[in-house]
Amino acid sequence: MTTAELSPVSDLLAADPDTLFGRARDAVGKAEHILTLAKTGVRARVEEVGGVDAAQHVAHGLAWLATTVEGLRQMTAWAERLNGEGRYGEMEKLLLVAALSEYCAQIAGGIPMSQVEIIRPEALGVARDEIRAFEDAVADLVAVGSSEQVKSRLATLIADQQGATTFGDSGLDELLVEMHEQMRRFSEAEVVPHAHEWHLNNEYIPLDLITKLSELGVFGLTIPEELGGLGLGKEAMCVVSEELSRGYIGVGSLGTRSEIAGELILHNGTDAQKQEYLPKIASGEILPTAVFTEPNTGSDLASLRTRAVKNGDTYKVTGQKTWITHPVRADLMTLLVRTNRDEKGYRGLSMLLVEKPRGSDDNPFPADGMTGGEIEVLGYRGMKEYDISFDDFAVPESQLLGGVEGQGFKQLMNTFEGARIQTAARAVGVAQSAMDLGLRYALERNQFGKPIYSFPRVANKIVMMAVEVMVARQLTYFAAREKDQGHRCDLEAGMAKLLGARVAWAAADNALQIHGGNGFALEYPISRVLCDARILNIFEGAAEIQAQVIARRLLEGAN
Amino acid sequence: MKILVPVKRVVDYNVRIRVKSDGSGVELANVKMSMNPFDEIAVEEAVRLKERGSANEVIAVSIGPSKSQDVLRTALAIGADRAILIETDQAVEPLAVAKLLKSVVDAESPDLVIMGKQAIDDDSNQTGQMLAALLDWGQATFASKVELSDGAVTVTREVDGGLETLRLKTPAVITTDLRLNEPRYPSLPNIMKAKKKPLDTKKPEDFGVDISPRLEVLKTAEPATRAAGVKVSSVSELVEKLKNEAGVL
Repeated sequence: MTTAELSPVSDLLAADPDTLFGRARDAVGKAEHILTLAKTGVRARVEEVGGVDAAQHVAHGLAWLATTVEGLRQMTAWAERLNGEGRYGEMEKLLLVAALSEYCAQIAGGIPMSQVEIIRPEALGVARDEIRAFEDAVADLVAVGSSEQVKSRLATLIADQQGATTFGDSGLDELLVEMHEQMRRFSEAEVVPHAHEWHLNNEYIPLDLITKLSELGVFGLTIPEELGGLGLGKEAMCVVSEELSRGYIGVGSLGTRSEIAGELILHNGTDAQKQEYLPKIASGEILPTAVFTEPNTGSDLASLRTRAVKNGDTYKVTGQKTWITHPVRADLMTLLVRTNRDEKGYRGLSMLLVEKPRGSDDNPFPADGMTGGEIEVLGYRGMKEYDISFDDFAVPESQLLGGVEGQGFKQLMNTFEGARIQTAARAVGVAQSAMDLGLRYALERNQFGKPIYSFPRVANKIVMMAVEVMVARQLTYFAAREKDQGHRCDLEAGMAKLLGARVAWAAADNALQIHGGNGFALEYPISRVLCDARILNIFEGAAEIQAQVIARRLLEGAN
Repeated sequence: MKILVPVKRVVDYNVRIRVKSDGSGVELANVKMSMNPFDEIAVEEAVRLKERGSANEVIAVSIGPSKSQDVLRTALAIGADRAILIETDQAVEPLAVAKLLKSVVDAESPDLVIMGKQAIDDDSNQTGQMLAALLDWGQATFASKVELSDGAVTVTREVDGGLETLRLKTPAVITTDLRLNEPRYPSLPNIMKAKKKPLDTKKPEDFGVDISPRLEVLKTAEPATRAAGVKVSSVSELVEKLKNEAGVL
């Protein structure tokens, strides 16, 4: 490359923030134009083949394109907000240009939906001259952000900040920054030193740690103050979930159960149910578990079969459930059942709040009509997964959530936004932990007489992790703020979860690569993080379901 | 009883310290800062005394740039009742800090000052002693145990030969050692409450204290990197090298 070709790089980097933001906004506008064209193209395709399912590849491609564009938009908004608060520095600038560069290049050249499914704008019906025009319009940004100059400077800044809470300013307000810092300290001291051992031995997260989390206020974050919680928003929940998951995904996920049960009861419960359960969930006295999935009912919940038959003032529950996380030590199940056998679809479903005694490995379910066995898993341990069978299991009718039958599916759907935002935050935490481990190893491991971090192929992996973690984080916080403002945000929550899971898997895979053979040894924590990262693309809506949901929303005219 | 706890904002203990390229000092740009760990122990001790009913007010004070508010908020989240920031962007030396703290003591009349034995940035280990001298109060440094009784405080100190127990009349200055306690993690509700606790901002001029430095930093340098060792093949070669190369025999 000649120096003449390099000069636009330095020009854009040397420019004042407003000039760069102007370029960023312009690029976002151009990307939005491509998205509009793609929407038209995909809509035509869907009509032609008669539905989203038959045009699934391009419909999901549209979802990924929209997610990528939203990532660009949120990074730009993040940088401008920081600049307004005097918090925009060199690190933030370089992260911004690197993100703009990579994602603009992907929009034109192909976005990875998975490693083997790259979606290109031509496939979405965007005309070639439009793609060419987009490429020309963002060529300078793509060149700058992908230059070795930017990457090597980022590599230096990252190495200098090893151990930082976030690489680049998170953009959070003062209160949340303080919570972020303190959760990180807690996680570093109480979780990180033990997580790998828990994983290798397939051990439960100690109850003692759960008590400490309760004392910190983790379980009542978003429950209103008058019901014993802290009355904070989803953004605070993200910060806490992120840092705890950075220590160990199992610890970050303990709160998910309380979050789902808390939301279900808060928004749908009778007053008595709220008064009875919410303060105990907030204090950590009650550990809840979500009992929804069945052997033949995963993503397609409306086909659920476990039935609850009313007999006097009692429901008798019979059926099979599976993939139940942390059921043995849980005190309360949110149990999705079919109360109306004549209604085959989702209208026949109801949610029961079912108390249960805590069990042990030897006697997991010491309750009449309830048995189960452990499902051994690759990662995401610490709470244990179970199959559960119910056989005439008795539940008092007063435990029907909200006191009205047939509301179960709707009640559950309303928790999806919050659960997906929280899962996106878990993904950001796992991605960050992979980056932490990769960075440390790369700085400590010497080969050919120097730390392997000094080799660009190693450092660049870490740099791109830092860039993508920040994009996923900003998209997650954005979805959380939308939720906090009372806006419908299934689209944003889905995008944050979709991107976060891909970013976490890529970070874990690449951090393991940096470890070489040692990463393949169970002894090294990155081997665990790889296993833990894998679940993120599966649970709380698999990547394909997430893309499907986003695509449907885009095609029905939202955004 | 009122307790004053001075706290300092320093480079976080996890951070690898880098020297500025011009040798004028340590790199602070983009570096994570937090409360001096010994000061955190001091805050924890003061809060525990309050929780036990031995004290009724804990005041945290910091001298430094406006960002020092962050460490004061942390002190408030641990359990201090209110905070005072004496804001200055100038580097302050132990004597200047001690003089400013004396002014705060004169204004607040605490019965006890509990502070870290040293800050992990410059490791001076002077401020507590200077403050005691300026106030003409008793001092107990390197405390590993603190017990209050009527008008007096019993302090166990970690000294080279073992443990030394002192009894001081209050008011007094105590500096904390590492093993005095294990500071708590502030809970999320307490972090929220800390936001609402009072934090007063003052300037060194308000106290009429001259904080101009008396020392001049000539140069800051990285420690020399350790040279690679050599393998010797026999004891006689080792002895020979120790004699003639290392010059230690």
